[in-house]
Formats: sequence, structure tokens, C-alpha cells
Amino acid sequence: MSRYYYYLVLVNMFANIITSVPVILFQNRKDGAIISMILAMIVGLICITFFTKFFNSFPGKTLPDMLKQTMPKWFTVIFTFVLVIVWFVAGLITLITYTILLIRFLTPETSLVMGTITILLFVTFGCFMKADKVLYTIEIIFIITMPLIIFIFVKAYLDEHIEWLYIKVAFTHINTFPQIIPFAAVLFLFLGVMNLIIFNQFFTVKQTFGWKQISALTLIGSGVLFTTYFIPVGFQGFENIDTMMYPWISTADSMRMRYGVIERVVFIFLLFYLAFSVISLLIHWHVTIELLKSVFNFNKLKVRGIQVIPFIIITIFSLITIIAVQFINELNLYFFTSYFFVSLLFLVPCLMLVLWIIKRRFKQHDKKES
Amino acid sequence: MFNETITWLKQQLNNTNELTQKTLEIEDKLSFIYFISSLVDIEMIQKVLIKPFFEMPSEDYFEAYLQSLPQQLDFQTKEEILSNLLSGSVLVALKDKFIILNLSKSHVDQVQEINIEPTIHGSHYGLSESLITNINIIRNYYHQATLTVEKSTVGKLNNLEYALLYDKDKVKKDVLKKFKKRMKTIDKELILSSSQLISHINNRDKLTSYFPTILLTERPDRIIYNIAGGKIIVLMEGSTLAIVAPAVFFDFMVSMEDNYHSFWISNFLRALRYLGLLVCILLPGLYVAVTTYSPEILRVELALTISGSRVGVPYPPYIEVLFMLFFMELLVEASIRLPRAMSATATTVGGLILGTAATEANLTSNIMIIIISAVAISTFVIPINEMSFAIRTVRLALIIFASIFGLAGVVLAAIGFLMYLVNLNSYGEPYLRFYNYRKKKERGEALNE
Repeated sequence: MSRYYYYLVLVNMFANIITSVPVILFQNRKDGAIISMILAMIVGLICITFFTKFFNSFPGKTLPDMLKQTMPKWFTVIFTFVLVIVWFVAGLITLITYTILLIRFLTPETSLVMGTITILLFVTFGCFMKADKVLYTIEIIFIITMPLIIFIFVKAYLDEHIEWLYIKVAFTHINTFPQIIPFAAVLFLFLGVMNLIIFNQFFTVKQTFGWKQISALTLIGSGVLFTTYFIPVGFQGFENIDTMMYPWISTADSMRMRYGVIERVVFIFLLFYLAFSVISLLIHWHVTIELLKSVFNFNKLKVRGIQVIPFIIITIFSLITIIAVQFINELNLYFFTSYFFVSLLFLVPCLMLVLWIIKRRFKQHDKKES
Repeated sequence: MFNETITWLKQQLNNTNELTQKTLEIEDKLSFIYFISSLVDIEMIQKVLIKPFFEMPSEDYFEAYLQSLPQQLDFQTKEEILSNLLSGSVLVALKDKFIILNLSKSHVDQVQEINIEPTIHGSHYGLSESLITNINIIRNYYHQATLTVEKSTVGKLNNLEYALLYDKDKVKKDVLKKFKKRMKTIDKELILSSSQLISHINNRDKLTSYFPTILLTERPDRIIYNIAGGKIIVLMEGSTLAIVAPAVFFDFMVSMEDNYHSFWISNFLRALRYLGLLVCILLPGLYVAVTTYSPEILRVELALTISGSRVGVPYPPYIEVLFMLFFMELLVEASIRLPRAMSATATTVGGLILGTAATEANLTSNIMIIIISAVAISTFVIPINEMSFAIRTVRLALIIFASIFGLAGVVLAAIGFLMYLVNLNSYGEPYLRFYNYRKKKERGEALNE
């Protein structure tokens, strides 16, 4: 596979492991978190294989193109709008989570709205870039931040304060029945591949996708899941970890770099994860914009040769975000996110069904022609 | 026809009084020569034209001799004769026939010493101001039959000659097509130098082209390096700077010396340069963000030192930084514009004021002085001047976002800056992108990537 494919998959995986996903897991730590994780990983890998195989057989084609060719118009419009809402909300959750997080830990003096506007300013510029440019940006940020994030993970594993006994205790709850919310939350980590519905236009050459690629993703996925769940347990203990709002931030703050320029690891962690969540946001909203582009003709409404619709979209996005940021607090956000994850459990099978129908129709079409 | 042309030429040039006519006559041989005395090489005329004329037995011999000279030029219309005369040719009228010989003299074919991009190793001489000499230099460095030179003119009024150089096998066809098209659309009366040409090439997207997407260089080795990398070079008559297109971000960070050192040394220097780039973009913003919002990210001792040295400074950190940066930029600008003898005074006085007096007067903190000097030094590490000019202004934006949103603002603005760079194009080539292996395979052994 092209390395850009891995960025799409990995960004989603890494960007979400420190926010709501571990919180949801710790809420269910005594009833089915671990077994949900294992199940979700298997289902997630099946999803990855399905989506990759499907889009690989139509190199360079995006989902809206294929919908237009095979489906009736009313269905195309409605389905695209559903996808727009899902991807927009995915981005919105990342944005709100991070804005609140940053203001809570890094700059408590800044107003929430000002912080949101600053993030929006750059992200809305970014998501109107072309797909290849978005991927180049992702690549550069990924390569700059990844070594540090891995360094912090390794440091966490080697830290003297990590208590492996807690982790063993957590393991003893493996025999409980899986729950739907942690399952959905973990599944979301593996759904970065769904961004291919738009980004497939970049992959114009047919890629090889076989056991090697799947096993690499399995390895990374299990490593990421293990880290996201067991490291905080190792630092904070098993019994009361569900009372923490930001288990990962507290964990990062438990680490010191005694000889580093910056002593407290949490700041490096926060800043580099900010970069990571910005690119995750960039991917989601780029998909949203491209989906909207397939429905509206951007060239229709022009004032003095400048497209107006992008500005309208930016305004709508910003307004929704700014209003949402003021109404949502950490508790709301937790429930909101859980519902979003659960709703994905309905969306993903639907999308798979639609893709399957598309493939069948293309095959019939080919048969007719030959 | 013969006399008509002569009278027309005289009419065209009668205001200048410079057209010289000489009659060569002996026995039954007769010939006239016309030239503009300030443009031609008199000694060459004497050697190539006059002496043989008197030694030849007949006019036929002389004509055959002239036709075989390498300086002889072809022409069709009388306008061409005129323009050739104006560029230093000699018109010979022999037996109702015209022969034009290019015997121009140029005082500008001296190779200039390099002073914009100096290196320790590597050649110390750059290009000259004569186009022919420059093409000669490049051909001497790059012995390939595929090296193509296309000459053309630009500027409606002064018709300045320029040459497009590229390696036919290595250049990307669509980039070449785009570049040629862009050159044709330049609609200006006067083009004087290659730096001016660049601004006209970029004219169309004036607002958005903030970073240089075309490189200017005076080093022949850099030109060769870029030709071998499949780029297009433009050389202009009368200009010692060559234009390199398309140029991507990494091209501006390459010093020619990287190729002359051993592996580890050159990699160390390269790392140093990128580190310098990071320092000069990020450091002022980081200072503002850390001192205003989150001093807790530093070690306690350092945080105390910084706030200790800021005791008595009346302004918030962002004003302090902007104030010092402003004076530093003034100092840099002044030392460029002043004559060399005076610029030393300016820097000494400025350095004294910025260095000691400002701290003693409690206008800035000591740490600030260190940061500003670090930033100033690291700006000069960037090898190509245009890039360092562009970078100098970027950090101001970072300071603004740092004062709004602290460290997160710095990171966000840096990402925004990155996205801006990635979004740029230089003739269809993405401006900033991580190494792309597939493209390299397509292009063969290209040096530049």
C-alpha cells in the first residue's frame, strides 16, 4: 500500500486514544472493556479489509462519483447528506474536545470562543486544500510528531512509577460480557480507512493489499489499544480510574524528564497531540467539504469571479462550532461522543451495503457492455 | 534596392551621428563598410576586413573570404540589418550585395566574483554580464548533447535577449510548456534584469505569492546542479543572476557546499540549517507564549530567571518582542543599504543600544536580548536570501497568535504556515512535500528532489 494510506488509518487510531475512548473504556472496566476491545479490533480489521479491498478495485474513484453512476439521484443526495453530517460531527467532536482540553490545561486565561476561532481559522483554510495537499500536510506533521509520541509511550512503559500489578488486576476482568458502547468506541479507532470514500481519488494506482499489510495493521492496532488502556491503569491504579476526566493527561503528567529542556512530559504531549488532532480534524472536514462539493456546484454562485459557497460553508461550520462549544461541557461531551460512536454501528453496515450494491451494479454494467 | 537600403539606414540613424561609413578602394576593387563605432571592435575590423581587402587579388576572392568567416550572419529584411547594426555588427556592401559580420565588442564579459552566496570551498567566480559568456561557462561545466539553449527576447522597447537552458532528457515537459507560456505573456516595455523579470513572471498571483517559487542564483555550480535535476534556467543579457524554475522549498535550503563536504559534516550542516530555520520562526513566539501564559512548562529555575529579568519591564512580552524585533530589522536593513565604510558604525551603535542600554534602561529583559540575537543569527543561516526575507516576516504572525492563544497558538500558526507552504505550487510542482520515491523513479537519476 502507498504510505499515504497508512497515514489515513493511523491518524484516526492515534488521535483518539487520549480523549474520550479511554474514558469510555474505563467506565466499563469491570464489565466487558477488554473483551469489547478484542472483539472491536477483529471487527475493525474486517472493516479495514473490506473498505480497502473495495476502493482498491476502483482506483482513483471517490464514493460520490460511484453513487452518481449507479444510484438514483434522490438516494445519492440523501446518502451524501448523512455522510456529511457524520463526518462533520466526527470533526466537531475532535475540535471541541481539544479546545476544552487546551483551555483547561494550557491557557486557562484564553476565552473559549477565542481559542475555537483560532483553531477554526487554520482548519477551515486547510480543509479546502486539494486531497494531495492535505495528504502532504498530514505526512509532514505525522513524521514530525510520531517519534515524540512513540518516545513518550516507550518512556511510559519504562517508567519506574508504572505498577504492573494494577495491569494484572485489570486483566482479571477479561471474562465479563462485552458492552455496546466500549465496542463502538474502539471500533471507531479502526474506521480511519473510511476516509477513503474521498481520498481514494489520490490512489490512482492499484495497490497491493494482502496478509502482510493486514498483519502490520493488526500489530499496530493491538499495540495502540494495549497502550491506551493499560498505561493509565498502570499509573493511576485500577479501582478509581473511572473518576478521572482525562486519564491520559494525568498519566502524562506523572512522568518527568529529569534532564530534559522541558521537565514535565505533559506539555510536550499536549502540544504534539494538538498537532495530531488538527490533522485528524483536517481529514474529517476535508471529506465533509468534498462530499458537499459533489452535491452543490460551487461554481454556480459567484460574486466577481470568487466562489461564494465556500465562505457560506465556512460561516455555517464556524457558527455551529462556536455555539456548540459554549453549550457543551465535559459531561455532555462524554454522552454526545458515546452516542456518536454507537450511531456509527448503524452507519458502517449501511455504508458497506451501499458499497456492495455499487460493486454489483458495476459488474452488471460491465457484463452488459461485453 | 541597394541604394534604397543605405538611404533608409542613414535616415533611421541620422540623429545619432554614429553610423560610420568607410570606403575601401584600390585598383578595381571597391567596397563600403558601415558600422556604429561605439559598438564594434575596431581592431577586429582592421584585422578581419581591411587588411584582407588590400591583400586579395580580386573582389570575388574577397567575397568568398567574407562568406566563409564564422562571424557572418544571415538576414532577410532591412529591419534585421538595422537591429544587427545596433547590436554591434558591421555591414559590408560589396558588388550590390550585403554581408553582415558580427564584430561587436563587449566590455561586460568579465566573470564576476561571487558575493551573494559565498562558500568556503567551491568556485569563487560566478557569471558575467554577457549572455554568450554565460552560456559558454555553463556548456563548459555540463558536457551533454541534450543541453538545449533557446534564445528569445523580452521587453517591447529594449528587446533584451535571454536564453532558456535545460536538459532535454531530464526536464519535465509540462513544466517547460507552462514556463514558456508564462514567459510569452510578459507584456512590459522595459525589462532590465533577471530580478525584475522574476517579479513579472510571478506577476499574475501577486497577492498569494509571498514565498519565492523561483530561485535566483549567481553560482554556476548551482545552475549545473539544477540543470541536472531537470530544471529550467533563464540567463539574461546584462545580468549576473540566473533564474531557476521550478524551485521548491528544499531548493532554497540547499547550500552548494553540501556536496563538497564529507557525509557526516554535510548532514550536520544541513541539520544545523533546519534547526536555525525552526529557531528563527518559533523562538520569538515561544517566548511570548511561555512568559504570558504558561511559565510552568519550564523548569522552576529558568522560569524564575526569566521573570526575574523581566522585573521592571513595563510592557507585556509581546510588545517587548515586537519592539526588539523592529529594531533588529532596522539594523539589518540599515547595514544592507549603507555603504560599506559606514555600515560598521551603524551595527556597532545599534548593537550597543540593543545589547546593553536597552536592558539597563529596563526596556527589555536580558533573556530577550539573547533570544533576539539568536533569532537574528539563525535568519542568516538560510542560504538563499529571498527565503530568509520571507521567513523573517512569518514569525510576526506567530507572535500575534502566541499572544492570543499561548503555546497552542504557536503550534496552530506553525501548522497553518506549513499548510500554506504545502498548498503552494511552482509550475505544477508541489512546493513542500516529503520525499517522494515514486516520482524519483519516474525521473531517473535526478539529483534534485
